[in-house]
Amino acid sequence: MASVDIIGIRKLYGDVVALSDINISIASGAFYTLLGPSGCGKTTLLRTIAGFHEQNAGTIAVDGKAIEGLPAYRRDVGMVFQDYAIFPHISVRDNVAFGLKQRKIPRAEMEQRVAEVLDVVQLGQFADRMPHELSGGQQQRVGLARAIVIRPKVLLMDEPLSNLDARLRVDLRAELRRIQQELGITTIYVTHDQEEALAMSDTVCVMHQGVIQQAANPLDIYLHPANRFVATFVGANNFLAVTRQGDGLYLASAGGVVANGGLAADGRPLVCGVRPEVVRVVPGSVPPGDEEVAIPASLASVSFIGREMEVLVRTEADEVVKSFARPDPAVIALQPGSAVTLLVHRSDLAFFEDSETGRRAT
Amino acid sequence: MRIAGRRPDFWTVVTGVVLLVLAILLLIPILRVMLLSFVDADTGNWTLGNYVEVFTRNFYLRGLKNTLFVGVLGTIGACLVGIPLAFFTARFHLWGRVWISTLAILVLVAPPFIGAYAWIMMLGSNGFITNFFERFGIETPTIYGAHGIILVFTLKFFPFVFLMTQTALMAVNKSFEDAAENLGCTPWQRFTKITLPLVFPAISTGAIICFVLSIADFGTPAILGRGFRTLSTIAFAAYRSELGGLPTIAVTVSMIMIAISMLALVVQRRILARRRYASSLTNLPVKKRLAGWKNVAVHVFCHGAVLIAMLPNLVVVYTSFLKTNGPVFVGGFGLESYERMWRQAPMAVGNSFLFALSAVALITIFSALISYVIVRRETKASGSIDFLMMVPYLVPGVVMAIGFVTTFRTGVFGGIGAAWLLILLYFIRRLPYGVRSTTSSLRQVKPSMEEAAINLGAPPLSAFLKVTVPLILPGLIVGSLMSFITAINELSGTLIIYDSGTLTMPVSIYLAVLDGEFGLAAALSTVLLLCTGVCVYAVFRFSENRDSAFL
Repeated sequence: MASVDIIGIRKLYGDVVALSDINISIASGAFYTLLGPSGCGKTTLLRTIAGFHEQNAGTIAVDGKAIEGLPAYRRDVGMVFQDYAIFPHISVRDNVAFGLKQRKIPRAEMEQRVAEVLDVVQLGQFADRMPHELSGGQQQRVGLARAIVIRPKVLLMDEPLSNLDARLRVDLRAELRRIQQELGITTIYVTHDQEEALAMSDTVCVMHQGVIQQAANPLDIYLHPANRFVATFVGANNFLAVTRQGDGLYLASAGGVVANGGLAADGRPLVCGVRPEVVRVVPGSVPPGDEEVAIPASLASVSFIGREMEVLVRTEADEVVKSFARPDPAVIALQPGSAVTLLVHRSDLAFFEDSETGRRAT
Repeated sequence: MRIAGRRPDFWTVVTGVVLLVLAILLLIPILRVMLLSFVDADTGNWTLGNYVEVFTRNFYLRGLKNTLFVGVLGTIGACLVGIPLAFFTARFHLWGRVWISTLAILVLVAPPFIGAYAWIMMLGSNGFITNFFERFGIETPTIYGAHGIILVFTLKFFPFVFLMTQTALMAVNKSFEDAAENLGCTPWQRFTKITLPLVFPAISTGAIICFVLSIADFGTPAILGRGFRTLSTIAFAAYRSELGGLPTIAVTVSMIMIAISMLALVVQRRILARRRYASSLTNLPVKKRLAGWKNVAVHVFCHGAVLIAMLPNLVVVYTSFLKTNGPVFVGGFGLESYERMWRQAPMAVGNSFLFALSAVALITIFSALISYVIVRRETKASGSIDFLMMVPYLVPGVVMAIGFVTTFRTGVFGGIGAAWLLILLYFIRRLPYGVRSTTSSLRQVKPSMEEAAINLGAPPLSAFLKVTVPLILPGLIVGSLMSFITAINELSGTLIIYDSGTLTMPVSIYLAVLDGEFGLAAALSTVLLLCTGVCVYAVFRFSENRDSAFL
């Protein structure tokens, strides 16, 4: 158990900036997730912590002690790999014991620790199997056991579930989280799966193009995205054009002021973000309720997918807006082109500066 | 910002050592050959005179012409046998397909000079086929001269074209051929317009290997030439006659041989550069069943080709068990040849194994390390090591040996014994076999394996030995076996370096053939063939793809 401080890390590949001034502080025992699309630098950062890459600048400290002078094999950070990396030529037991042997742990203690950790990952009866006799999920449990048996100060996980099928992924992610909490081990977890990140983490750190976009608890990431990239990448989002008249902000597609005062005053170009699940679609032309905005639109398509319906509409400003809602027979029966009204609560609107990573305007 | 205080890591040191070894054993000898070719033998001054002499005197020009002549025709012959063979085995149901490819592989790895002298025993002036037809008053064409060399090259080298083309044909997505047929191609048009162009890269690679090996081959023209000289026999003879002085003419001829090989490779690369066909194997090629005379003809061709190519080796084994009295075959069977081998050439047998095994021990260690550097380290240094691994293929044995002798018998390296020179020569010439096999094995091991070991606390060398080496062991074993086969069969380079204490089996065979001691030669050759056969069997056991392991 240890705290991790990442201070001013920069990593360049030639002229390409892979990591740009990364600053992260992770409390002891926390589950910290690096989330982002491929190429965002999350894996590079993880591998830099593990010592497989050397940063161009900055410091990584574990429990306040800088570790960048140490070669990868002396860093004492456990790592779980995306492709499991279970040594195929030795048994499950020997795989798990590998790091202990490297540390010259006495035989009796080693056997006891291997047995304990195999019980933790529920693989006790598989100790003498060879890796190819195990399923993918079981192999990844071995990967986890092998990493935690050495009692590392920090546990690194590089998309450990991405090679597993969907159901197993959900089961194993709960188990990973349970084991992590039981051991109280500081964990840095890399994933591109937002659901995974939200479900497991104490803190989610969204990265894009080598830059941290936002680091916060899962609820804040979803409900209060710090910028347009986070709002787009985590969960789905609609963006509507915004116009300005005097002191008021208006949607290009609807009448009526949607925001007043400071937001409108400072003159930055803005867009309005609306989550699909807060958009209500009703047939025909309907007036807005109190604190609601009504956007007239025509229906583009409706897909009924069981638990919900996914509705695409086109506004008068020719914007496509998506809505997720409880299946409504009246809407599903509509023909494409029918007139509908979108109803959105005013407090569900969020405003962002109009660029890919435009900041949230408040 | 490099982090201060970190020692240069293990693989950086390995890379440095490998580069140093390659520089000393590969680059310096070749540079030495190159420099010497610009030196006047009498005065020691710089001169272009050697090239002027080689390019103006008819003797050398004819040698150059001869070399290209037998090289090109031998290659064409190899293609004419190898391409149909590949097509038949890949596209038709053949009885004994495994047998065919096994024989082709045996032909491929059998000592190259055995073919030449076995054909003398069959078609030479006193050969048994010659004698057989003579009884009926029929005169058989002589085996000596250009056409004999071309015949031997064809039969010796077609397996390269065969195996490479076959591998490629197996990997052609059947949808391409189906599409061609659907668009109205007859089977023949489909073959010439679609299939053949798709496997052309493989064919040209096989052909280029045939050509380069033909150019470099010394044993065949030396045994069958009878006045028909190629550059390798000329270089060898020139080296012999220049002993004591500077072998300037020998190295100049050598430079021309290197130039031809490199030119051929460059041309092939240029042609291939515009033809890269990636295809997914979603639709596997299927084999058709032939019937009637076509079926018979295809079988006769395929089995006939590999059997005729195998014939020299069979003849040699058969001859070794013939009863002899001195150099004369006296009729009936006996073990006299082996007895003579035991009496006259035990040292040659011992030396061959000693030198080849020592070289292979070095090759095994180095190819494991080199393949790691090539596959896992993306630096300029590892790139140049990868490139240098191609050089030994292009430098004929005679040339490499002359480079060794001129570099290591004088100056700072002076005093290295012939035994060490031979071991180092085999090491550097056969290293690429080990590296290639090990490299392809390592490419299939995910880098995360070693990273996991390092992450668990294993220093680089320990991670390499405990995780990487066990995982690439099959490739390492196959590579070592291949380099062993080719090292123990080495003739041309050994002939330049050996002395009375370092006779090897190939040299003894060569000398015995020149003396007309065919019984002794056959017994020694049989021992070599036996070693080769055992190694081939072992390669079959250890490699995933038995055919391509030999290429």
